[in-house]
Amino acid sequence: MAQNDPIPQPAKPSVTLAEKLTSLPKFYLYIILIFFSSAPLFINVTVPNKPLESTIDLYATLMSVKKGETVLVASDWTNSTRGESWGQFNSVMRILMRRGVNVVLYSTGDAQAPRVAQDSIAKLNKERLAQGEPEYKRWENFVSVGFFSSGEAATNGMATNVKATFAGRKDFAPGRGLTDVYESPILKGREKIENFPLLIVITGSKTSNITVERLSGKVPIAFTVTGVMGPETGNFYQSGQIVGFASGLKGLYDLEGLMENGVNVPGKDGQIVVKSEKYPKIDGFPGQPNAGQGSRYYPTLHFAVALLILAVIIGNVGMFLARKGAK
Amino acid sequence: MSYDAIKVTLGVLATVGLYSVLYKENRFYRFFEHLFLGLAAGWTLVVIWVENLKGPWWDLMVGVGPEKPTDPIGNGNWALIMLLPLGLMGYMVFSKKHNWMSRIPIGIILGLWSGQQIQIWYNTYGKQIAGTAQPVWPTTWSSLTVPDYAKSGLTGDALANAKSQVYLSQAVSNFLFLITVVCVLSYFLFSFDAKTKLVRSASSMGRYLLMIGFGAIFGSTVLMRFTLLIDRMYFIWIEWLQQTILQR
Repeated sequence: MAQNDPIPQPAKPSVTLAEKLTSLPKFYLYIILIFFSSAPLFINVTVPNKPLESTIDLYATLMSVKKGETVLVASDWTNSTRGESWGQFNSVMRILMRRGVNVVLYSTGDAQAPRVAQDSIAKLNKERLAQGEPEYKRWENFVSVGFFSSGEAATNGMATNVKATFAGRKDFAPGRGLTDVYESPILKGREKIENFPLLIVITGSKTSNITVERLSGKVPIAFTVTGVMGPETGNFYQSGQIVGFASGLKGLYDLEGLMENGVNVPGKDGQIVVKSEKYPKIDGFPGQPNAGQGSRYYPTLHFAVALLILAVIIGNVGMFLARKGAK
Repeated sequence: MSYDAIKVTLGVLATVGLYSVLYKENRFYRFFEHLFLGLAAGWTLVVIWVENLKGPWWDLMVGVGPEKPTDPIGNGNWALIMLLPLGLMGYMVFSKKHNWMSRIPIGIILGLWSGQQIQIWYNTYGKQIAGTAQPVWPTTWSSLTVPDYAKSGLTGDALANAKSQVYLSQAVSNFLFLITVVCVLSYFLFSFDAKTKLVRSASSMGRYLLMIGFGAIFGSTVLMRFTLLIDRMYFIWIEWLQQTILQR
């Protein structure tokens, strides 16, 4: 062989279609996933939707609480489930704020939860002020009782005496600084759990189970839970242990739709948008900022799930071809 | 740059840092992982002292007034100091010589917990068991499915009577529900050897029905994970880029 002759290279093995389909580079898959999870956020897409019965019950329950009443809200979510819980919290609070219902916030799920809830209320207050609505004031409209490190003990205590369970808990009173929460006007005369018309648990953890275990039958309970918890929460709803619930992004999208359209209320074309034989007419809040995370994320989720289905099909086709080739 | 803008920007950096592990393990990811754990632990420690121990225990024990520091000091309730050694005994679990002490507070907690279980069990499953008793035979054949009451023109007692009936579609649904409950329960009959074909078939069916249930839960889990990713993308593109940087 002459010195200048090229060194013979081994022939590259040809990559089959099956191998290509089953070995797509991870980096590009993530880029595609990020694109599909981001791009639809910038476009306005409406997904046809029929609200679930459980969400209609939740909405009807929230709308039945009278103005000036005080409800308990167990805010047991943090940024780890923000994708679903934040929107659920905002929707529930928007309804209660607009109806003039007072709220006692507490948490048994996570030490960060009370802070996250207060930050969310601050954002909702900015929105209210921009809309020309009055501020939802701390101490006069809501108090934050804080975090209880033992959910079981706190909920058990609430079953017998809410005032004793909240003893020593303080929140900021205007001009007075940290003050015993029971000096707030919204907690006046509400010492037992039976004195509250409703308990709403907004959770991404098992605090919903703890609540049913200890408070079921003592106070009407409603939940907003993450999608993972939806199937097990359905059992509580079917057996009448809770009055209603919204599960995951679908539940949130339902709730936002109900806030816009109401129940048994004719739409612009004269047709009733959300029909229910169980309830008479329940008004919505048309034209107000009802669309939140549900309206943004739910259509995006459809794009992401379509991508997932496509990836599953591609992977299976690749595997089928590979097995066929092996034979 | 405003405080809010700095806060959101740091949040974006942390999000990108934590997601970078998807590509490969790296120091950027490790840094934000430790930062997150440290912040969460520190925050929890403070919250437990401020919200769980100081007001409900320390202030009541030493008699600090519930409002301003200038208020007269209230009577102390020093019996509450008994809780301190009881709590500290829990930490004796780390001592080889004195770890028997940790069993005392654990025993008290277990006793309290066990005492609650009967009521808790009933509250959780009592209504669900009662709800399993559903009518499986229709009480009327006037309609095969539940009629549209709004269009029926019925009112008062006639409407109440129509609503109280069990229609064929409801009966079939209830029957399927009952079969599911029985089959799934039969899957968990481990106390005796299932020799008859009926019990074996029911058990096998129960396994498939359980798998359908788990499939539904898994599907919900996948959707939730996607939602968490979408929320992070919303945080980066809308809250940070659009609202904070571009201010649109």
